[in-house]
Amino acid sequence: MLADRPPFEDLYRDFLGRIYAYVRAQVSTAADAEDITAQVFMNAYQAYGRFEARNTTPAAWLFRIARNATLDHFRAHGRRERLRRTIEHQPQGVEDPAGMAEERIQYRALLVHVARLPERQRDAITLRHSGLSFEEVGTLMACSEDAAKMLYHRALKALRESVHAEEMQ
Amino acid sequence: MSDNEDLELQALQRQLDDAFETTRPRSGFEDELWSRMQARRPLSRRVAEFFGALFGTLREVPSVPAAAVAVVLISVIGIGLIALSGVHLGGGAASTTAGSAPLKSEAGSSQYIASFGRLPTPTLSQPVPAPTNPTQASNNAADQSSQQVLYLGPATLVWAGPQPNVPITSAPVYRFREPTEADAGQFATALGASNSNHRAGTLGEFSGAGFVVGVVGSSKQPLAEPRFYITPNLSQSPPPGTTPTDTAAAFLSAHSLVPTWHYVVVTDQIADTTRVLYLRQFDASSNGFAYVINTYGVRYGIEVDVRRGQPLQAFGPLPLTLDVASYPVISTDQAISFALASKQSAAASIQPLPTVQLTTFELVYALVNAGDHSFYEPAYLLSGTFTNNGTTYVKRVLVPAVDPSQRSS
Repeated sequence: MLADRPPFEDLYRDFLGRIYAYVRAQVSTAADAEDITAQVFMNAYQAYGRFEARNTTPAAWLFRIARNATLDHFRAHGRRERLRRTIEHQPQGVEDPAGMAEERIQYRALLVHVARLPERQRDAITLRHSGLSFEEVGTLMACSEDAAKMLYHRALKALRESVHAEEMQ
Repeated sequence: MSDNEDLELQALQRQLDDAFETTRPRSGFEDELWSRMQARRPLSRRVAEFFGALFGTLREVPSVPAAAVAVVLISVIGIGLIALSGVHLGGGAASTTAGSAPLKSEAGSSQYIASFGRLPTPTLSQPVPAPTNPTQASNNAADQSSQQVLYLGPATLVWAGPQPNVPITSAPVYRFREPTEADAGQFATALGASNSNHRAGTLGEFSGAGFVVGVVGSSKQPLAEPRFYITPNLSQSPPPGTTPTDTAAAFLSAHSLVPTWHYVVVTDQIADTTRVLYLRQFDASSNGFAYVINTYGVRYGIEVDVRRGQPLQAFGPLPLTLDVASYPVISTDQAISFALASKQSAAASIQPLPTVQLTTFELVYALVNAGDHSFYEPAYLLSGTFTNNGTTYVKRVLVPAVDPSQRSS
């Protein structure tokens, strides 16, 4: 039988993209997303020796670290500043073609709406679409699986309203 | 909830799925961050890992006498290799378009070298895929066992394939020196890019008319040679190509990036993106051309991602000037003996020890880094599959082809 705990490099390769996407959906610049993602994996690398596979899934463990790192980032920059940057943020302009491809811009605008959601709704959307089960989302958000489902569906409706509101403008 | 509302929410969920699946860090970030993490390890851990790897490597050395064929590097053969290998600017057999000129790694141009001295030994690395997710063993179409989990742990090995037909006694070894920032600038200038934007972890990133190109140096973990990436401005994309392969070829050609080396084109579908791969081959002298494999034993080369008829990004080995030298190689019988006697030291292991029938035998080229320069060395890749608890694994064993007397480890 394979060892319970896979080599850290396996986790790194498997989850780097998902963690980055999770963070990127919440912050306004790719540079911030890279910084936070780097911090997540630095922290995870340091703590991997204490990771117990029987207590949690690697995904839930890594996303918990990512969630904390993202919240720390917001605390450090202040909510007002974050909102200002999010609202002002536009999809990467044509002067930055690398950024355009990197972001796959057709979805960037949608993620800007996600970033504007209230914190718990944003958490529910980003964690769920990062591939976590509702049970894992609930665990991370300190609520039941059913509560996570309800929160997610409320968030989805709020997101739809946000998108509609912009389309009407 | 009305049906319309329900459908709207489902559509929104699909868009979110796509948005999260396609939001990924820029090329090079993965390697760059991994290098930073490795550099930050405590000294004690690095020392422990160094000796662990050293002893692991020693255990893997086949227990056969190191004395072997004396090295006779015949200049005539070497000169012949130069003519045959396309080491200079010669286009590959599959290439019909002039590609970008390789960078000159030194003041002079590529040349035949009598010998590079003793060579470092190519090895395979720990499997990347998560053990519990077989579909992630490889997402590369070049990997014929794409739905299998790569397993490098210990196993009882048996050769069950046909007698290999690789009738060579020597093979070329290729060497390049690590490019500098000036080399990266030269490469970008040749593509019509300038205005360097300093980006951490790269040798330079440059803007051209409707594209950005960047150069990344070698990395040791995972092992990779210097690479370029090029990203087009999607707002200035040409009309969609008829096929992803056509689109990729047109994109590379427009930027003078069609490989100058031999290649075989294959495609791989990843969600709604088609990855067109130009799998690199090296001239193996009288044995034709051999694929280059990465540290996991998978063929690779230039990758061009195409979606909806438009190129999204290309990524591949930087064109570099290669020096070449001829080295004696072991026989196929010796290679099989070495493979069966080798001890794999991978951390992940299956108990009880699986018995694996190795059935395929292939001459390949593998990258080996040696500080400020690296080699592409010939090697024999033996592989077979086995099943454990319902999961199919692929077992690969890499045997260096260069005679042990010419290797430093």
